[in-house]
Amino acid sequence: MTDRTPLVEMRNISVSFGGVHAVDDVTIDLFPGEVMALVGGNGAGKSTLVKTLSGAQRADAGEIWIDGAHVMIENPRDAKRHGIETIYQTLALAENIDTPGNMFLGRELTTRLGNLDDSAMEDAARKVMQRLNPKFQNFKTPAAHLSGGQRQGIAIARAVHFNARILIMDEPTAALGPAETEQVAHLVRQLKQEGIGIILISHDIHDVFDLADRISVMLQGELVGTVNKDDVTMDEVLAMIIIGKLPEEVTQAELSDLHG
Amino acid sequence: MLNRRFLALLAALALVLVACGDGGGSDTTTGGADTTTGGADTTTGGADTTTGGADTTTGGDDELIVGVSWNNYNEERWARWDEPAIQAALDAAGATYINSDAGSSAEQQLADVENLISQGADALIILAQDGTAILPAVQSALEQGIPVVAYDRLIEDPGALYVTFDNVRVGAMQAEVIFDLVPTGNYVIIKGNQADANADFLREGYEQVIGEAVAAGDITIVGETYTDNWDPALAQTHMEQFLTQASNDVQAVLSENDGMASGVVAALDAQGLAGEVPVSGQDADLAALNRVALGTQAVSVWKDARELGTAAGEAAVALAQGTALADVEGTIQFDSPGGNSMTSILLDPVPITQENLNLVVEAEWISPDELCQGVEAGSVEACG
Amino acid sequence: MSVTELPPSETDEADGVAPSRRSLQSAVRSSEIDTRTLGMVALLIVIWIGFHFLSGGTFLSARNLWFLSVQFAPVAIMATGMVLVIVSRNIDLSVGSMLGFVGMAMAILQAEILPDFLGFGHPALWLIVLGAGLILGALVGLLQGAIVAYVGVPSFIVTLGGLLVWRGVAWSLASGRTVAPMDSTFQLLGGGSRGSLGEVASWVVGGLACLGILALLSYDRRQRKRYGFRLRPRWAVVTIAVVGSAAVLAAVWVMNSYYLPENLARQFAEEQGIPWPEGGLLIPVGISYPVLIAIGVMLVMTFIANQRRFGRYVYSIGGNPEAANLSGINTRWTIVKTFMVMGILVGVAGAVTIARLNAATSGLGTLAELYVIAAAVIGGTSLAGGLGTVAGAVLGALVMQSLQSGMVLMGVDAPLQDIVVGLVLVIAVAVDVYYRRRAER
Repeated sequence: MTDRTPLVEMRNISVSFGGVHAVDDVTIDLFPGEVMALVGGNGAGKSTLVKTLSGAQRADAGEIWIDGAHVMIENPRDAKRHGIETIYQTLALAENIDTPGNMFLGRELTTRLGNLDDSAMEDAARKVMQRLNPKFQNFKTPAAHLSGGQRQGIAIARAVHFNARILIMDEPTAALGPAETEQVAHLVRQLKQEGIGIILISHDIHDVFDLADRISVMLQGELVGTVNKDDVTMDEVLAMIIIGKLPEEVTQAELSDLHG
Repeated sequence: MLNRRFLALLAALALVLVACGDGGGSDTTTGGADTTTGGADTTTGGADTTTGGADTTTGGDDELIVGVSWNNYNEERWARWDEPAIQAALDAAGATYINSDAGSSAEQQLADVENLISQGADALIILAQDGTAILPAVQSALEQGIPVVAYDRLIEDPGALYVTFDNVRVGAMQAEVIFDLVPTGNYVIIKGNQADANADFLREGYEQVIGEAVAAGDITIVGETYTDNWDPALAQTHMEQFLTQASNDVQAVLSENDGMASGVVAALDAQGLAGEVPVSGQDADLAALNRVALGTQAVSVWKDARELGTAAGEAAVALAQGTALADVEGTIQFDSPGGNSMTSILLDPVPITQENLNLVVEAEWISPDELCQGVEAGSVEACG
Repeated sequence: MSVTELPPSETDEADGVAPSRRSLQSAVRSSEIDTRTLGMVALLIVIWIGFHFLSGGTFLSARNLWFLSVQFAPVAIMATGMVLVIVSRNIDLSVGSMLGFVGMAMAILQAEILPDFLGFGHPALWLIVLGAGLILGALVGLLQGAIVAYVGVPSFIVTLGGLLVWRGVAWSLASGRTVAPMDSTFQLLGGGSRGSLGEVASWVVGGLACLGILALLSYDRRQRKRYGFRLRPRWAVVTIAVVGSAAVLAAVWVMNSYYLPENLARQFAEEQGIPWPEGGLLIPVGISYPVLIAIGVMLVMTFIANQRRFGRYVYSIGGNPEAANLSGINTRWTIVKTFMVMGILVGVAGAVTIARLNAATSGLGTLAELYVIAAAVIGGTSLAGGLGTVAGAVLGALVMQSLQSGMVLMGVDAPLQDIVVGLVLVIAVAVDVYYRRRAER
């Protein structure tokens, strides 16, 4: 893997809020067609870290490289220009706007005169949804009246439609039931096959083992380490999350304590 | 309530400070404090002390201060005519002018009056936003021995001096001009703000003139309404509705002031009736005098605000110097609608019609250019 | 949220012919007509018919409706802008004072400043004055909007300050004087005796409006066919076209049924050298310019709200400001623009108002902010943001003005008028909230 150029490299990123180091000198990378899981307890700094990539948060220090080139990401528009799409934990949708409107929010299709081309947007939305969730029909319904899974669908459809190369998913299944979770998992595999690099933030260790290729663990703003999923056990990852020790450092006693 | 208590506390504190500083202080201050403790009965005596102080010392303390509380500058005349006249009268008497503007708020005006008192006013001139709401402040001022002049609008407290144009007379003058032109027919009456006593005084003047004709059936009132805030645009809407209701069968309009008359004339103009249906007004607004010259308004009763301002300024100084209410020059007793016998100075207004427009030009109230804008040459005497 | 009840049926029942309420509901749904708007229209009809009887048959006369239409224009014009401001979760309390300020500035410009350079009655005077008014309004909006969006002071506070500031400035401009008269061409903007289209031009405008309705419907149908979306049932399209055109033509007919008052007709006859006929001369007045302006503003604002990115962004900010920001929308600049649009519309309304009154007073527009906000809210705009339509606000303005002018016709005293208008405002919004909540269940 190391002989290829990473899709994304985040080098030595630091973010602090009023003296508190939310992210402290963290370096991670992501390759095409890979799912990289970012895990850690509450307040470990996962969301803050990826926000610097999606443009929602400025880093105090550090660099972001995409396709081997140094880039500046200062706002969500910059991120989108580099093919970075984000699905937020809060499912950031405009509640009063319908599916096509939300999918294209900020990047509306227009006619030659600059007027919104609602029909073209609806058509595009139908086409993407046909691939992702053929049962979905409520294209004119405001987002407020859609279920959690359907709302997640809009966010994913947005990423697919705009040919995202890098997809950040912040707790994509937190608001979903089991069936919808399986649906999202299915989508993730599908996107991965298309060569998209995915950063997955999740609390659910089973999800992570199900989907991820590599796992980066954060604790109190610092990176504990990055491991290949196939090289570790769930307990070893839990140890990284809770006591911040790499598999080779941890003792059997500590591992069994985790279940105590 | 809380506010007033706080101010009272502040006043008490100020008194204590004055008392403490008394040791090396001037005599006049003590004289002033005596007046306050002496109460209303001894006002004259106490104030004499003040005057005496003024004669003997040349310090700044003893200078007379007259506070003026305006209800609202948002009307053409106050700042343009009344304020300079009051100021001139005070300057002539060597008194200092301080003022405040309540911005059409009766509550604000209560606080304003208290502020003027704490700024050291020796007499108050109050143009009341609401003649009833202002009463607590007026009473408190009178209790502190500070005389009050009710300026142009009635304040129902017999302790205050009411200086005004005779508003019933103003109404009667408007009605006389209109009644002369239209002795029989349909009348519309556009009254001012309901909360303003003047609106009813003016209406009373109308009644004196056309009351009999109405009772005899010669005159029919086809529309009558109050107008919130004396708002011209609202008067226009009302006039349009009355014309609609009466199918334009309206021969005369009694509008209580010039601002509303401008709305009435605009409504008449839309029906091609401007100039045919006589309209009344008062205040001699420049635009209204122009309408009189043009013939679209029959009369604007001119209350020379400078006269009013001068009279009020002089009266305030006289009162502050200790003259008793009834001894102020030119006062008569006037029975108010609230049943009080008010000591009043009632000035006589002048009705301005096309015939005597030269009066306002000669008084430099308006320039001939402003008066005659758009007037056909030779049609009006004052315009040559 | 667990779904225990069945949600309202989403299946298409348009083909069913059962005469139940259900089928009526689904019929309305398939025709895609907004039921809220229908409700508003129904309310308006009830008010109109009620006043017609209470006023002894005057209310629905062509003349009263003509005046009603002129009186409602300024509030309607401003309400279209207020919708966008409120939808974006802001408020503008300063519009009444701004109207006083901008109106006074336009009045002084045309009555006292420009005549010195151009002379009275210069043909371009009105255009310069109007342009200046719009620019001034935009600048005031820019200032207030920038403080809201970039400094972060809540719009309630900024515009509350503006309410005091602009009123004070309006007064200072003329030291409280009444400025009059207005330029004779400018006066046409306010309607008055000559500020109308006349019979023929009114019918032409009506005809064009009907063609516009047909063009929009057929464009919609073509787009749906092109992308293979579900078509509206043919009966619905035909009904909308017929009802819409009929309403337009009826409105024109009413405007044309108000004839020039006799005196003006005589003047007209003299000017044209026509002998005065026995039975009088009936010259239809037609649509007045203020109404034409209000309709134009409504169409443009509807277009901006629904068909331009700016409008979409305003609604998205109202729906979820964070989502709008994360979508890469420049939310701050969008907010500033809503206040600028509001300012420009205040300029338009100010021009109409001073032209109609043929004078500017420093109290011009007092309390207008309340009427404008009430019109928007009665028209279904939610103060929580995100919801509201331009057309609804215009209907709301019409409801407000109908109430007011109807009560004057009936001779209702001013205080009682205020009570009624206040009650209607609260009741209208209460009913709206109730039905919205029911619809969400």
